[in-house]
Amino acid sequence: MDFICNFPFFSILLSLFSGTICSVLPAKAAKVVNRVVITVIGLLSAALLVYLLSVGEPFVYWMGHFPAPWGNEIRAGVLEAGMALFFCVIMYLSMAGGAHKLYDEVDESKHNLYYILVNLLLSSLLALVYTNDMFTAYVFVEINTISACGLIMIRQVGRTIEAAVRYMIMSLLGSGLLLFGICIMYDLTGHLLMSNIKESVGLLVANGAYQIPLIVSVALMCVGLCIKSALFPFHAWLPDAYGYSTVSSAAILSSLVSKGYIFLLIKIIYRVIGFDIFNNTRIIDVLFVFGLMGMIFGSLSAIRENDIRRMIAFSSVAQIGYIYMGFGMGTQTGMVASVYHILSHAATKSLLFIAAIGLTEVSGGSRRFSDLTGAGYRNKWAGVAFTAGALSMVGIPLFSGFISKLLFAQAAVQVEGKMLASLIVLGISTVLNAIYFMKTVLRIYATTEENTYSGMTFKSMKIYAVTLLFFILLNVILGVNSQPIVDMIEKGLAMFA
Amino acid sequence: MIISVILIPFIAGILVPVIPFGKRWQKELFLEAAVILNSILVWYLLLHHSDSTFLLAHFTGDLNISFRVDGMSMVFAGLVSALWPFATLYAFEYMTKEEHENVFFLFYTLTYGVTLGIALAANLLTMYFFYELLTLVTVPLVMHTLTREAVLASRKYLYYSLGGAAFAFLGLIMVIVYGSTTDFILGGVLDPAKIAGKTNVLLLIYVMAFMGFGVKAAICPFNSWLPQAGVAPTPVTALLHAVAVVKSGAFAIIRLTYYSFGTDFLKGTWAQDVVMAIVMFTIVYGCSRAVKETHIKRRLAYSTISNLSYILFGAVIMTPLGLVGALTHLVFHAVMKISSFFCAGAVMHQTDRHYVHELDGLGYKLPCVFGIFTVSALALMGVPGLAGFISKWNLAQAAVASENPLAWGGVGCLLISALLTAIYMLTIVVRAFFPGKDFDYTTLAGAKDPNWKMLVPLFAFTLFIVLFGVYSQPIVEFFYGVAMGNI
Amino acid sequence: MYCILLSVFFPILSGLFLLIRYRTPLSGKTEGSVRKTLVTLTGLFLIVTALLTLSALLTAKEGFTLFYLTETLTIYFKIDAVGALFSLLAVVVIVCAGFFSFEYMKHEEREGRYYGYYMMVFGVINALCFAGNLITFYLFFELLTLSSMPLVLHNGTKEAVMAGLKYLFYSLCGAYAALFGVYFLYKNSETLTFTAGGVLKASSIAEHGSFLLVVAFIMILGFGVKAGMFPMHAWLPTAHPVAPAPASAVLSAMIVKAGVLALIRVTNLFGADFLRGTWMQTAWICLTLVTIFMGSLLAFREPVLKKRLAYSTVSQLSYILFGLAVMNEDAFTGSLLHVLTHGFVKAVLFLCAGAFIYCTGKTRADELRGIGRRMPLTLWCFTIASLGLIGIPPTGGFVSKWYLALGSLKSGIPVLDVLGPVVLLVSALLTAGYLLPVTLHGFFPGADYAGENLQKQEPSKIMTIPMIIMTILSVIVGLFPNAVVLYMTVIGG
Repeated sequence: MDFICNFPFFSILLSLFSGTICSVLPAKAAKVVNRVVITVIGLLSAALLVYLLSVGEPFVYWMGHFPAPWGNEIRAGVLEAGMALFFCVIMYLSMAGGAHKLYDEVDESKHNLYYILVNLLLSSLLALVYTNDMFTAYVFVEINTISACGLIMIRQVGRTIEAAVRYMIMSLLGSGLLLFGICIMYDLTGHLLMSNIKESVGLLVANGAYQIPLIVSVALMCVGLCIKSALFPFHAWLPDAYGYSTVSSAAILSSLVSKGYIFLLIKIIYRVIGFDIFNNTRIIDVLFVFGLMGMIFGSLSAIRENDIRRMIAFSSVAQIGYIYMGFGMGTQTGMVASVYHILSHAATKSLLFIAAIGLTEVSGGSRRFSDLTGAGYRNKWAGVAFTAGALSMVGIPLFSGFISKLLFAQAAVQVEGKMLASLIVLGISTVLNAIYFMKTVLRIYATTEENTYSGMTFKSMKIYAVTLLFFILLNVILGVNSQPIVDMIEKGLAMFA
Repeated sequence: MIISVILIPFIAGILVPVIPFGKRWQKELFLEAAVILNSILVWYLLLHHSDSTFLLAHFTGDLNISFRVDGMSMVFAGLVSALWPFATLYAFEYMTKEEHENVFFLFYTLTYGVTLGIALAANLLTMYFFYELLTLVTVPLVMHTLTREAVLASRKYLYYSLGGAAFAFLGLIMVIVYGSTTDFILGGVLDPAKIAGKTNVLLLIYVMAFMGFGVKAAICPFNSWLPQAGVAPTPVTALLHAVAVVKSGAFAIIRLTYYSFGTDFLKGTWAQDVVMAIVMFTIVYGCSRAVKETHIKRRLAYSTISNLSYILFGAVIMTPLGLVGALTHLVFHAVMKISSFFCAGAVMHQTDRHYVHELDGLGYKLPCVFGIFTVSALALMGVPGLAGFISKWNLAQAAVASENPLAWGGVGCLLISALLTAIYMLTIVVRAFFPGKDFDYTTLAGAKDPNWKMLVPLFAFTLFIVLFGVYSQPIVEFFYGVAMGNI
Repeated sequence: MYCILLSVFFPILSGLFLLIRYRTPLSGKTEGSVRKTLVTLTGLFLIVTALLTLSALLTAKEGFTLFYLTETLTIYFKIDAVGALFSLLAVVVIVCAGFFSFEYMKHEEREGRYYGYYMMVFGVINALCFAGNLITFYLFFELLTLSSMPLVLHNGTKEAVMAGLKYLFYSLCGAYAALFGVYFLYKNSETLTFTAGGVLKASSIAEHGSFLLVVAFIMILGFGVKAGMFPMHAWLPTAHPVAPAPASAVLSAMIVKAGVLALIRVTNLFGADFLRGTWMQTAWICLTLVTIFMGSLLAFREPVLKKRLAYSTVSQLSYILFGLAVMNEDAFTGSLLHVLTHGFVKAVLFLCAGAFIYCTGKTRADELRGIGRRMPLTLWCFTIASLGLIGIPPTGGFVSKWYLALGSLKSGIPVLDVLGPVVLLVSALLTAGYLLPVTLHGFFPGADYAGENLQKQEPSKIMTIPMIIMTILSVIVGLFPNAVVLYMTVIGG
C-alpha cells in the first residue's frame, strides 16, 4: 500500500486536531490555521485524486491495521477524493468571501470558536465522504449537526438562535431516524461495515427473508438523510437557518453540509444496499415525487419571498429537489446527473450567498428587494457575480447549471415512465427559477437615481472580489469543461459498486 | 473567418464605452465603420461559403459549438447584416435625445454578433446557446430608460424568453437523444430506429419546443411581452422587436421543424394541426389587438405579432413551398416593418407624439415620413406591386397546394388579417393626411421631416419594398433553392 | 401598346403632379389665379387622357406584358370588347363629371387634392378596363379603392371621413375575399389570363369541384361588395351622398361598375358552364333579387335626394348582376346595356342633384317643390334620366330590362326565372315612385305653392353642358339599341 493511501485519514485527523488547536489560539492565528488546514487538505485530496485516477481502483484503508469487524475502515475512490477536493475548494472560497462580514456580525471573542466549528465541520464532512462504516458515519453525522448548529447560532441574534434550535430539532429527528435504520440493519445483517452489510443484504433479498424490516430500515435511513438535507417537505428549518446565519455559514451550510448528507445517501445506496436492490424498492418513486414537488414548491416559495437571502435559501430547496429527482430516476445516468448537480449547485449557491451579502452591504444592510434597487451599480463585483450565479441557476449555456439541466433531461428521456413528468417539471422549474432570479437581477440594475447608500470600490474589498472571481471561474469551468468531470463521476460511481 | 463576424461586433461593442471619444461623430464613425465592415464580411462569407463546419469548441459528450453557412443561415444572416448598418445610422440620430448612449450602443452592437451567431449556428446546441444569449444582451436595451415601465417590460421579456427557452430545451434534448446528430440537416435528423413507438411523446415535446421558441416569435398565449417591450428606444423596437429577436424565434422554429425533427416525421400529425391552429389564431388575434391599440409603437408591435405568425404559418405547412413562403415573409416583413417602425420613431423623435389620435394632419408636415409610412402600410396590407403581396402570395399558394383543409382555412385567416391590417394602418394614414375640415394646422408648427440620418434608412427600405414587390424572381428562386436543399 | 400605357399612366402621373404641386394651401379657399391654372391644367389632362384612351381603343389589338412580378404573375394588358365598352363609358362619364366639377368645386377647399385623386381614378379605371389577367385586375382594383377613397372623404367633415373609411374597409374586405378566390383559382387553373369559356383544369374540377364552387361564391361575394350587392351594400348609401356631387356621379356611374366588370371576369374565368345550374348560381340570383327589391324600397323611403339616388344605385346595379347571374346570352346583353344606361343616367341624376345643391343648397327631395321653374333645364335632364331609369320606352332602361327579363325567362331555372322579371317590374314601379315625385313637384308645385323666389337660377354652362351631353347619350342608347345589341351579341357569342 502506497503512502498516499494514508491521505484520507490524515485529512480527517488534521482538521479534527486543528479544530482543537484553534480553541487556544487568538482569532487571527486561528484564521490562518484554518485557511492553511483547508488548503493542505485540498492539496492532499488533489494528490489522492490524481493517484486514484492513475491507479484506477479504489482502496480500503484499515485504521490501525485492524481488520473488520474490529477495526474501522476508510475507503477512497475517485468520487470520494474528488468530492473532498471540491468541498475544500468551496469551503475555502466561502470562508474567504464571508470573512469581512464575520467581523461585523460575530463577536470578536467568538472568532476562534467559529474556526473550531468550521474545522470540525470539515473533518466530519471528510469522514462522511471517506468512511466505510455505518456507525462511524452516524457519529460524524452528529458531529456535523452540532458544528452546523454552532455555525448558525454564532451570530447570536434572536432569529439565528431560533433558527439553530429549529435546525437542531429537525436534524436530531433526522439523525434519530438514521440511527433507527442503522440499528435495524445491524439487527438484520449483523454488520456495520458497508461492504459486509451489502453482502448480507444481497443474500437476504435473494432468500426473500425479512423483506419488510429491510425496507423499513432503508426507508428510515433515507427519510433521516432527507430531513437533514432539506428535501421537500422537510425543508421548514432551512430558510431561517440559511437566511439569518452569517454569510460564510450560510454558504457552507447550503453548499456543503446538506451535500455531505446527500453524498452519504449515495454511499448507502451503492455501498450498503446495492444500487439494483434500492431501485427495486418503491422508495425511489417516493424520492422522485418529493424531488419534483420540491422543484416546484421550493421555487414558488422563493418567488413569494421578499428577502434576498431567504429567496436564495428557498432556491436551495428546489435545487435539492433536482438532486432527488435524479435519484428517483433509478438509473446510472440519473445518478451521474445528481452528483454533477451536487457540484454545480454547491458552486453556484455559495456564489449567490456571497454575492448577495455584497449587495446587501451597499444597501444599508437591508435584504429587502426594495432597498436593493441599483445595488449592482454600487457594488459592481457583487452585481456581476450575482448575475452569473443567477444565470447558472436558470441554466444558461456556458454555466454549470446548464450542464446539470442537460444531464437531468438526458437521463429523464431514458426512463420511460418518468420521462414526461420530469421533463415538464424541469421546464416549469426553469421558468420559476428565471422568474425569481431574473427579477432580482433586474432589480439590482434598475435605477438611474443617485444612490442613497455609498458604493464599494475594488480596493475596499480585494479579497471579496477575488473570491467572487474564483467562484465565477469555477462555475464556468464546470459549465464549459464538463466532460472530464462527468467522466470522473461515472468512474467514481463505477468504483462504488 | 466565420467566427470573426460574430466577434467583431462583440469587440466593437465593448470598445464603445472604453475608448474615450472626443466628439460624438468620432464614435458614430467608429461604430458605423465597424458595423458596415462586419456586414461586408458577412456578405463576403455568404457569397463564398464552403460546406465545411467550423468547430469552435467541444461542449460535452459529442455536443459542440460549431458554425456553418447553409441556405437558411444565408437568408437570416444576409437579412440581418443588410439591415443593421441602416438601423445603426438611424439610431445615431434617434439616440441624441436619450441617455446612456454608450451602454445602449454596447448592447446594440453585441446583439448584432449574437444574432449572427444564431444565423450561422451549425447545430441545435449552438443555436440554443446564442438564443439564450440573445435574450440576455437585449434585456439591457429594453430596460434602457430605466423607468418603472421599462423595468417591468424587461422583466416580463426575460421571464417569457427564458421560460420559453426552458421548453425549447426539451426539444433540444429530444434531438440529442433520439437524433443521429444535432447538426442541422434539411429533412430532419431523428433516427427512425430510436423513435419507434415513441412518436406521440416526441410530438408532444415538439409542440412544447415549438411553443418555447414561439415565445420569441410571440405566438398567442405568449405574446404580451412584445407590445410591452415597445418602451425601448425605437431603433431597438424596430430592429430587434420587428426583426432580429422575434425573427430569431421564427428562425429557430424553422430550424427545429425542417432541420431537426424533419417534416416527414411531423407532417400530417396532430402536432402539425395543433401548431397550425395556434398560429392561425395568433394571426387574427394580433391584428385585432392592433386595431384596438392606440399607441403607435404598440400597434405596430401587435402587427408584428400577427405577421410573425404568417411566417410560422408558412413553416408549419411543412412543405418546401411552405418554407419558401415563410422565408419570403421573413425577409419582406423585416423590411416593411422596420420601415414602418422607423417612421413611427421619426414621428416620436420629431414631434414627441405617441398616440394615433395625435397624428392628425402630420402628413403635411412630415411628408417624407408619412409617404414612406403609407408605402409600408400598403405593402403590409398586401397591395400588389409591393413586397407584402409577393410574400402573401407565396404563403397562400403553399397553403393551397398543401391539400390540407386546415391550411386552406389559414388562407382565410391571412386575408382577414390583411383586412385588419388595412384598418389599423390606414386609419393612421387617413388621420395624417385628412385631418378633417376644421383642423387647426398651427398646432403643428415646428414639426418637420427629420434629417438625412433618419431619412436615408427610410428611403432605402422603401426602395427595397418596391423592388421586392415588382421584381422578386431571383430572391424567391433563391428561397426555393434553400427549401429544396440545393443551397 | 404605348397608347394603353399612356392612357393608364398619364392620368395617374398627372394626378400625382397635381397632388404635389397643389398640396400647399393648408387652409382657406384657393386663390383665384392659382385656381385658374389648376382648372385649366386639369381640363387639359382630362381631355388628353380621353384622347389617349380613345386612341388606345382604336389602335391596340395585341395584348402585352408590362412586367413579371414573378415568373407566373404578370402585369398584362389587353383590350377586349367588354373592357372597351366599360372604358368608353368611363371616358364619357369622367370627362363630363370632371368639367361639371370645375364649377361645382369652386367653393370647396383643397381643390388640388380633389383633382389629383380624380385624375388618378381615371387612370386606374382605364387600367381596370384594359387589364388582361386577374392579377393585373386585382392590382388596379385595390388601387381604385385607395385612390377613390379621398374623393369620398373630400369635404373633411367627421361624417365624411367615417364614410370614407367605411367605404375603404368594405371595399378591402371584398377585395380580400376575392383574393382568397384568386389564390385557389390560380392553383386550379391553367392561367389567370381572361379567356372565354373558363380556365379551370379538368382535373381540378373533378377533384375539388364542390370546393371550387365555394371559392367562386366567395369571389362573387367579394367583388360584389364593390357592386353594392347585398349583404355588403351598406357602404354605398353612406359613401355616395357625402362625396361632392361630381364624385358621387363617378362613384355611382363608374367605380361601382368596376365590381360589375370584376364579376364578368370571374364568371368568365370559372366558365359559365361550370357555374350554371349549381347552388352557387341560385344563391347568387337570390342575392341579386333581394338587393334589387331592397334597394328600391329603401330608396323609396329616403327623403334626402342624394341618398335616395345611392339606394337606387344599389338596386340598379343588381339588375346588372342579375343578368350576369342568369348566365345566358340575352341576359348578358341586358346587363351590358344596363351598364351603359345606368352609367349615363345615374351620372346625370347625381349631377342634377349636385346642381340643385349648388344653386339652392337644398338636399331633401321634398324641398325641391317648384324647382322646375327655377332650373328648368336641370330638371328636364333629371326627368329624362328618370324615365330612362324607370324603363319607359323608348329610353335605354326599357331595352335593357327587356333583355334581362327575356334572358331570365329563357334560362329555365325553376321559380327564379319567373320571379326575376316580377321583381324587376315591382322595382321599376318603385323606381317610378321615388324618382317621378321630384319631377312632378318640381314642375307642378301646386296652386298653394308660393315659392320665395321663382326667377331662373340655372347653373352656368360648364355644369349644364355635361349633363345635357349625358342625357342625350342615355336617350341614344334607348333609341338605337340595335347597334349596341349587335355589339353585345358579338361579345356574348
